[in-house]
Amino acid sequence: MTDLPAPSHAPHIDLDAIDQAIIDLLRKDGRMPYRAIARALDIAENTVRARVRRMEESDTMRVVAVTDIEAAGYGMLLAIGVQVEGRSPESVARELAVIAEVFSVNVVVGAQDIEILVVAQDQAALNELITDKLGAIPGVRRLTPALALDVLKNQPDWVPFHAA
Amino acid sequence: MRRKLDAADAAIVERLSRDARVSNREIAEQLGVTEGTVRGRVKRMEEEKLIRITAVTNIDRFKDAALAYIWIEVERSGQTRDVAAELAGIAELGFVGVMLGRADILVITMVRNAEHLAEFVHQRISVIGGVRSTRSTLGVNFVKHDYRMARIVS
Repeated sequence: MTDLPAPSHAPHIDLDAIDQAIIDLLRKDGRMPYRAIARALDIAENTVRARVRRMEESDTMRVVAVTDIEAAGYGMLLAIGVQVEGRSPESVARELAVIAEVFSVNVVVGAQDIEILVVAQDQAALNELITDKLGAIPGVRRLTPALALDVLKNQPDWVPFHAA
Repeated sequence: MRRKLDAADAAIVERLSRDARVSNREIAEQLGVTEGTVRGRVKRMEEEKLIRITAVTNIDRFKDAALAYIWIEVERSGQTRDVAAELAGIAELGFVGVMLGRADILVITMVRNAEHLAEFVHQRISVIGGVRSTRSTLGVNFVKHDYRMARIVS
């Protein structure tokens, strides 16, 4: 998670309706057998295998296990706005992205320069994260946090692959 | 409070987090346990909502896709939960959270551009009863998202 290769610049690919239908089934159940997918879409099992492989090899789709943050030991989730001064938001964002507890980093336009999502085990860990790690990064002027009291939905289906 | 993964669970999840299409047999061989153990633990973790096995797609492979943060204030604080529940039903939203600070609710979605964002907010968010105001931020560079972590709700 700590090494951040440069984003790849492979050409955009177009997914057809069958690719999209396969992705939809795998979003619901990532371990659905190839045979069951083939039956559901009324196509050959080899077609499903080939299409999944093509989408995986072109870094278009991955089937992964997502761990619940509480089961992983993190009790708190926050959305923090970051204002930057004296440094480019992009370079500060790359430095933030190296921190394991910072699980989402987005350079934005508006009142904030960067929006990040972070997790912490408890209040003491959060204090350390904000004060010693985030606040100490050169260029970070101000952190504006909001604590998630209740997460009703969290299904990040679309993500950048290069930094996860 | 959900239970935490034990060491054996964590080892299986570590293997699955890189490629969840790997067979139970292969994981079992690598970890030196039986295939039945792997199958049983994966099933249990899924049932307890400790993990979710799903497809994710790479935003860099698609044209015109940007992440938008939409901060929402409700008319009265007592309406927060109901508004959030209604927002959670909108398929396009990838995140819906009741927040302490900055606004009452944060939702995150993927849009094509600023025009699409404005249209989405106008037609899908502002029309919900109890929504007083919204503030949107459009992402210009999605630098990181560790898709191995999420709050598993449904």
